[in-house]
Amino acid sequence: MRAVVLDGIVLGLAFGLLGVGMTLVYGLGGVINLAYGQIVIAAAIVASLVIERGESQAVAAGVGVLAAVGLSVLLDLTLMRPVYRQHGEERTLLGLLLTLGAAFVIGGLLAWRYPAGALYIFVGGDPISVIGVPMSVGSIWASATALAVAAVLLVFFGATTFGRGVRSVIQDETGARLVGINPSFVRTVIFALSGALAGVVAIAQSMTGPLTVNAGFELTTFALIVTVVGGLGSVAGAFLAGLLLGVVNALSAHYIGQYITTIVLLGAAALTILIRPRGLLGR
Amino acid sequence: MSETRKAGGPQQLRRIGWAFLPIVVTAAFLAVLPPVWFGDSPYTTSLAVQALVFASYGVGFNLIFGSTNQLFLCVGALAGVGGYGAGILANESSLPMAAGVVVGTASAAIVGGTLSWIAVRRSLGIIFTGIVTLVFSLGFANLLLGQRDLTGSETGLIVDGVPADLADDSVGGYYLFAGLLVAFLIVFRALQLSHVGWAFRALHDDEVAAELAGVNVSRYRIYAAIVGSAMIGLTGALLAYSAGFISPATYSFDRVDVRVLVMVAFGGLGTLLGPVIGAGVFAVLDEQLSASLELREVLYGVFVITIFLFFRRGVVQAFVSLFDRFVRPGRRTPPNLQSSRE
Repeated sequence: MRAVVLDGIVLGLAFGLLGVGMTLVYGLGGVINLAYGQIVIAAAIVASLVIERGESQAVAAGVGVLAAVGLSVLLDLTLMRPVYRQHGEERTLLGLLLTLGAAFVIGGLLAWRYPAGALYIFVGGDPISVIGVPMSVGSIWASATALAVAAVLLVFFGATTFGRGVRSVIQDETGARLVGINPSFVRTVIFALSGALAGVVAIAQSMTGPLTVNAGFELTTFALIVTVVGGLGSVAGAFLAGLLLGVVNALSAHYIGQYITTIVLLGAAALTILIRPRGLLGR
Repeated sequence: MSETRKAGGPQQLRRIGWAFLPIVVTAAFLAVLPPVWFGDSPYTTSLAVQALVFASYGVGFNLIFGSTNQLFLCVGALAGVGGYGAGILANESSLPMAAGVVVGTASAAIVGGTLSWIAVRRSLGIIFTGIVTLVFSLGFANLLLGQRDLTGSETGLIVDGVPADLADDSVGGYYLFAGLLVAFLIVFRALQLSHVGWAFRALHDDEVAAELAGVNVSRYRIYAAIVGSAMIGLTGALLAYSAGFISPATYSFDRVDVRVLVMVAFGGLGTLLGPVIGAGVFAVLDEQLSASLELREVLYGVFVITIFLFFRRGVVQAFVSLFDRFVRPGRRTPPNLQSSRE
């Protein structure tokens, strides 16, 4: 039981990290980035190629994250420009459809070029005992990474001027413009941040198990569920929802079975939309 | 927008005649296609049937999304409700095919109507309707995989009692689905011409204004969802019988929904023939690209992006506007019942 809950927390932190990248972009510009999972995969494939060339795992991780940042910024500077010229629901819909298209392009190209592509970063060492349960070093690294990223984000949004600027754009785009903040620049930075998070997710996930080229759609789905349950636009909500869903997922998979578990997760998302559309911690 | 002449009599009749002309042309075209082109090739016939099936899904989806702005990302799941409903009934009981088709269609209509009712009651916008229906699609797929005894899971389900002359690679099957498509088109156009069509157009253009003008937006949304879902479910159920074999992949999100969305958007959302033209064009494209599934995916992505960036009203509509501007300036178009996306 304890082992299952701990597994759930490891998974939940990964879910949370995944959700944050998506929720930031939504909170800022009202765009649900359906290509998010494919960006994660792109980072993983790039990192695996770097490892194949004989570089160290740390270098590969860095290059992978940078690749995800680059891809994300590219998306922002090209496809997202016409999206941001729209307003309200029209903007969200166009963003949804264009990123869906981008997801197919990125996913298709990767699957075509690297059909057997996968990233698995092996972290050596004996399992470490956490409250009496032996945990693999990879899982602990992955969780520590997620927690560290969460802490950095908290400081960034709470204590830095730029972080506050980002929050001001989330709250009121016009108001932010009036006090001298350039929303379009802020959006590009947030897209870059979201890409970096996608890269970190790829690296952290590959420490607990191989990340294959076909996982993109599934990752996007999980990110979407976490984002919706946590409240679209809420960073803390995404982490909370990630943890919650991770534990529910582990418990349900252990006691009920995998297919029903997916339905339980999907049901949680649907119920959240119906009962509390702004999510756990949404505004 | 439509002309508002209320003269009645011969003029009214002529208007209706004009409105149904495209369907007559389509029906004639579909009728002569097998003898002049592929009458003896089962392979080509099955491709044509596939295109007809997707065009039929497209008409249903078009009614729901194109007419009343409800983003239903569960076309595959609704077709699956119809298909598995019919297939399981056929296998578990000795009822005839017609009973299975009726049950499948009714189940899909009920599910679609319920989804729409929930969306309307909770006043979910386009996006949340999209997410809820997407969640339904994924949940349905997992349900199919999980209920191994009833659905056969990934290995699929062989449907008993399939009439051989309606198989999906025979000319009989072709005419079954061609007839189905023409029937759907007639229903679609009849709805457009009736008071329902006026309500659809009003709520599509401006929901608040429509509500203020006395259109019961919620009710018409649910109507559209029930009729559209019934169309999708009926197509899925007939496909189950015609193919004789169904699996979760037959109705999966990435196989059905994405294609339907791309096709309908290509042909023009909310237009009568948009789904038909889209299905035709993509049948040819698929055939050309059958070598690489991955590259086909890339192409779909490029199409989605191009269509929504540059041809918001559909590629066909763009050509029609060009034609109108250069070829027959000053002439009024015949009753134009196509709604705009703007």
